Amino acid sequence: MSADLAFASVADLARMITRKEVSPVEVVRGYLERIAAHDRTLRAYLTVCDDAAMADARTAETALLAGRPAGPLHGVPIALKDLYDTAGVATTAGSKILAGRVPQTDATVVRRLREAGAIVLGKLHMVEFAYGPEGLNAHHGAPRNPWDAAVERMPGGSSSGSGVAVAAGLAPASLGSDTGGSIRIPASLCGITGLKPTYGRVSRAGVLPLAWSMDHVGPMTRTVGDAALLLHVMAGYDPADASSSVLPVPDYLAALSGDVKGLRVGLLRRFFLESATPEVRTAVEQAARALQTAGAIVDEVALPAVAHVAAASYAVVASEALAYHTGWLKARPDDYDPEVRTRLQLGAFVTGAHYVRGQQVRALVRDEIDAALARRDVLLAPATPMTAPRLDERQTTLGDGPSDVRAALIRLTRPFNCSGHPACAVPCGFSSQGLPIGMQLVGRPFDEATVLRVADAYQRLTDWHTRRPVLA
Amino acid sequence: MSEVFDVDTLYRAARVAGFAWTAGELETLRPAVAAALSLLATLDALPLEGVEPTTQYRIL
Repeated sequence: MSADLAFASVADLARMITRKEVSPVEVVRGYLERIAAHDRTLRAYLTVCDDAAMADARTAETALLAGRPAGPLHGVPIALKDLYDTAGVATTAGSKILAGRVPQTDATVVRRLREAGAIVLGKLHMVEFAYGPEGLNAHHGAPRNPWDAAVERMPGGSSSGSGVAVAAGLAPASLGSDTGGSIRIPASLCGITGLKPTYGRVSRAGVLPLAWSMDHVGPMTRTVGDAALLLHVMAGYDPADASSSVLPVPDYLAALSGDVKGLRVGLLRRFFLESATPEVRTAVEQAARALQTAGAIVDEVALPAVAHVAAASYAVVASEALAYHTGWLKARPDDYDPEVRTRLQLGAFVTGAHYVRGQQVRALVRDEIDAALARRDVLLAPATPMTAPRLDERQTTLGDGPSDVRAALIRLTRPFNCSGHPACAVPCGFSSQGLPIGMQLVGRPFDEATVLRVADAYQRLTDWHTRRPVLA
Repeated sequence: MSEVFDVDTLYRAARVAGFAWTAGELETLRPAVAAALSLLATLDALPLEGVEPTTQYRIL
């Protein structure tokens, strides 16, 4: 498989397959060969579906030759974070506890992707039970960030394999999940696009939970256009998910006009830009200027209530995660990654009153973001305040002082898990060490179309998303 | 909350939550519990009267 094909967008692959310029068999075989060549080092995959993917590719080829393409993703391979149920394929959430668990049915979004013609390449590495932002996993070892595998840097998590696979050309697209930033953090650290849709926009049925009221699922891709394409397939009401919205799904691809003239962008300086390292702050400010030059109206806005998000988010996530894990925590405590077990145990010391206060703070944060977006179309901020730390790094220095790495990584993403607003991370530069820098665009509830429109317009103005890591 | 709880107190709290963790486990957890309770205490200081808790965005 040529590097150009390996790094082709989902949209281009789908177009080439439909025009019979390339065969689904050739595409799937090419990705499987790249996985075999590079994944021993990168560790993006926990399970590779070699035989099933090749069989699906042959079926797709036959259907195409018979004039029966399945849908907009016909023959396009994708890879899934290991917490999406896949019929007949192990789904373990990166854990020892669920080792050997093989679901009988697909998660709703997996079914929708297959119905659109997508082929599942495999299941991707992740932080155990999605509880951590660094991308570490004591059971399976950490995936390596492809931008600096020699130094061994964090890929970000919890959707670590999802970020690595897409960045390294081991899959054209992946799915992640995002409870405190787990799509946007690895997207930022690995230099790809990651979309956390509005809470309720995409079904979570068949996706193993971390914290039900904060969990979001979404696509991770190399381009915003691909995120729009996948979201269009994934989104929509699902009776199997009580949080699923009945709002109709707009045509996200049609929204990608490339035009931001007159759109109002609120730059989040206080708390967000202020905490970023100088290189990240400069890159995001330059992105704001690029959008302004393209015709957007940029001003600055503050969200004072986000100062309380750390406490609120902790109360909610720790409580909900403990509720889900209580049985295993009592019966099989030694089978957890020690760091994840500690995080779960701490949930036992959160009171019901703290949980409710956390939910009250979420209401304040949501209302404050709504107010900011009443006079603006999107908000702009760094996705992470720094670039990828080393795997062994535990402390870092941000723009506003020292911080432990874990808190720093989730600091700027989780306000929008608390509020439920849609947020899309895209690369906006590279550090002096050659590491990607990510920013996020945040929009009104269920207005992913505008978020994607601005993010896509930015990618038309820049080439950060087209850069590729050099693999050993 | 700056109070530092001893292991016996943590043991009783964990038991109320349904967990029988050993003194050794709780001693290991103690610094993290202290940090967590300190963080949670900031919620107690917020003026949240009249704010209805939200569990999710308005689902339509």
